[in-house]
Amino acid sequence: MTTLRQSRAQHGGRRRRWQQRDWAPYVFLAPLLLFFVVFFVAPIVVSVYLSLTNWNGLSAPKWIGLANYEYLLTIDPRFWKTMANTFFFAFGSVGLGIPVALIVAYIITNTRAKAFWRSIYWLPMITNVVAIGFIWWLIMHPTFGVINRTLALIGIKGPAWLQNPNTAMIAVIIVAVWAGLGQNMLLFSAGLEGIPATYYEAALIDGASPLQSFLRVTLPLLRPTLFFVTVTSFIAGMGSFTLILTMTAQDPGGPMNSTNVTSLYMYQMAFQDLRMGRAAAAAFLLFIGVFVLTLIQLWVFRDGGVESY
Amino acid sequence: MNCRSVTRGRGFRASGVITVLIVGLSLAVASAQTITFATHYNDEQIAPALQCVKQYEAENPGVKVVHQQITYGDYLQTILTSRIGGQAPDIYHLYQVWAPQIVSNDVLAIPPADVLDWLNDTYLDMTLQAATIDGQIWGVPTEVSNYMLLYNKKLLAAAGYDSPPTTWEELTEIAAAITQRDSQGNITVAGYAWGPTVANVVHPFLTLLYSAGVEMFKPDFSGTNLTAPEAVDALEKQSELYARGITDATVGTNDFSSNGVGMITHASWTKAGYEDAYGDQFADTIGVGPIPGGDDWRSLQYIFFYAVDANSPNKDQAWHFIRWLNSPQVAGSPSCMGNVLFTLGALTGNKADLEAGKELLDDAFTAPFVAALERSVPEPIVMQSSEIEGILQRWILRAWNGEVSAADALNGADREITAILREFY
Repeated sequence: MTTLRQSRAQHGGRRRRWQQRDWAPYVFLAPLLLFFVVFFVAPIVVSVYLSLTNWNGLSAPKWIGLANYEYLLTIDPRFWKTMANTFFFAFGSVGLGIPVALIVAYIITNTRAKAFWRSIYWLPMITNVVAIGFIWWLIMHPTFGVINRTLALIGIKGPAWLQNPNTAMIAVIIVAVWAGLGQNMLLFSAGLEGIPATYYEAALIDGASPLQSFLRVTLPLLRPTLFFVTVTSFIAGMGSFTLILTMTAQDPGGPMNSTNVTSLYMYQMAFQDLRMGRAAAAAFLLFIGVFVLTLIQLWVFRDGGVESY
Repeated sequence: MNCRSVTRGRGFRASGVITVLIVGLSLAVASAQTITFATHYNDEQIAPALQCVKQYEAENPGVKVVHQQITYGDYLQTILTSRIGGQAPDIYHLYQVWAPQIVSNDVLAIPPADVLDWLNDTYLDMTLQAATIDGQIWGVPTEVSNYMLLYNKKLLAAAGYDSPPTTWEELTEIAAAITQRDSQGNITVAGYAWGPTVANVVHPFLTLLYSAGVEMFKPDFSGTNLTAPEAVDALEKQSELYARGITDATVGTNDFSSNGVGMITHASWTKAGYEDAYGDQFADTIGVGPIPGGDDWRSLQYIFFYAVDANSPNKDQAWHFIRWLNSPQVAGSPSCMGNVLFTLGALTGNKADLEAGKELLDDAFTAPFVAALERSVPEPIVMQSSEIEGILQRWILRAWNGEVSAADALNGADREITAILREFY
């Protein structure tokens, strides 16, 4: 009898625990998990399947195995060109954008009207990317654009920024840096504000110059922010294509594909050439590239950056 | 009965009336048949047809017609996504080169027998052929376009020429005389221009190829003729304009409407735009000449056509509307679609419209295009045409920019295009 009672008590306790502890978190998490499965896991699984098919979006997909990957990696000359463009754009926008944002943030942090300057530099972030692309297209017009007209005043012949295959990508990177400056500047500002003033005072007492103070105090303590900004900017750069598309709207991909990045090429493959399967394969190849480079960044920033996250 | 109960009673009655109205309206909306026709024309261009839509709706109670504008560049992908999402329009307005892919995927409905009879009676054979795949007519031809040399009379006159070129050598000479540069060396007026669209690069090249008596594809679509000496010669001639600085990538056919370009090879549908741009100077400024391909010059011709989605629940009504839209509503007058095309400056293969619009088609700008129809080679109807033209454009641009020779460019294009053709033929 005692055993039965104990057994019932144990069973009841287990059931209560099952009811109270085991299910509850899943019930609360269910909407999020459902969202995750429907909008993240399922599209990835479907995309993997599509990348192994020939599908034009109008009829049923046809299984072709790894043929799309084989075509992109061994036959298609444009895929590698667009991958090279993608890396050039990503490294260019990170390599130019981060130092500029850091310098601007450092200067703004040491000024009085911080809020005003931050607002000014943030403005491009709330401007429509199509408007940005079009305005800069006008500014960079080879004959009538403000830049070349200004250069002409001092006797310099400006390049055909967006029409010349040699300068088109540089022009796009400059605009991308300008457009993304506000966000990176704001993140760096927050990071700079988080560095205690006592460190600078100590450095000053030890006789450090402003440059030494920046290099020996600011940069090391800013590593977590630097890591975050570098990784997110790089990933954004690898997937960026809207600005490029709008700036080269008349000739998408730029003169002789000089600004055609893999994301834009994927769009063209999928929606102009109706090769959905091949575009899906290109997406996964691009993902592998981004993933590998992110791992390298994690390794580079392993001291002083990664552990902060 | 006090005031409150009277007010409450009125309130109930009012609520009842509103409910009945809402239910009635909902039923009416639910029972109305809505036909959606999607074209690449903007509201201004399609305006004559939209005015007719009101008349059609009045003549056909319970039918509502909606125009959906899809830009030319986004048309194919919009069809694709709208079909996947089950929101496809009932009626498409298709560029003929898109048709093989769309037809092979069972997207289009076969026209009913009475529509086919009407088509055979009403349209010129050559335009019907452009809407025909494997012997089946798939739709109602509308816009017919072919290419001619457009030239700016004033720029030619200022350079000392009073008539357009008839050969490419003459064109090169005149274009060189027209080209002007600013103090920085930038082109301010180009003698000739192409681009920026794929069609504005590929089609002018094809007119030279056709003028040399060569088609782009082999008859069985097993390959291309792009490596033929005539093709290389045509591309070398074009590349010379770049090499000599007569034109460059900073100018395009759009600049023709602002006295920025002396000559372009273009279709007639931009006439309305030039009339707007040049106003009362239009006739004194814009001239139309032959394709500069010598005595045996040829042009390229393409059409758009209306077709009905195979999954449309309103197929019969859709065909009825298309036929109505392309038939004269007043004897001796152009059809509603005819009015759209004539306003644009485009041509038509509709015999009734050709007769009704005889005067409109006989002006100095349009008449040469009409006359050139008999010299116009239909654009090839081939699978993956859009992708194929994109490939050819990229190789042509590489040759123009001096990155590769004309022969290497066309070899490269031939290699890529032949690989695509082998997928389907």
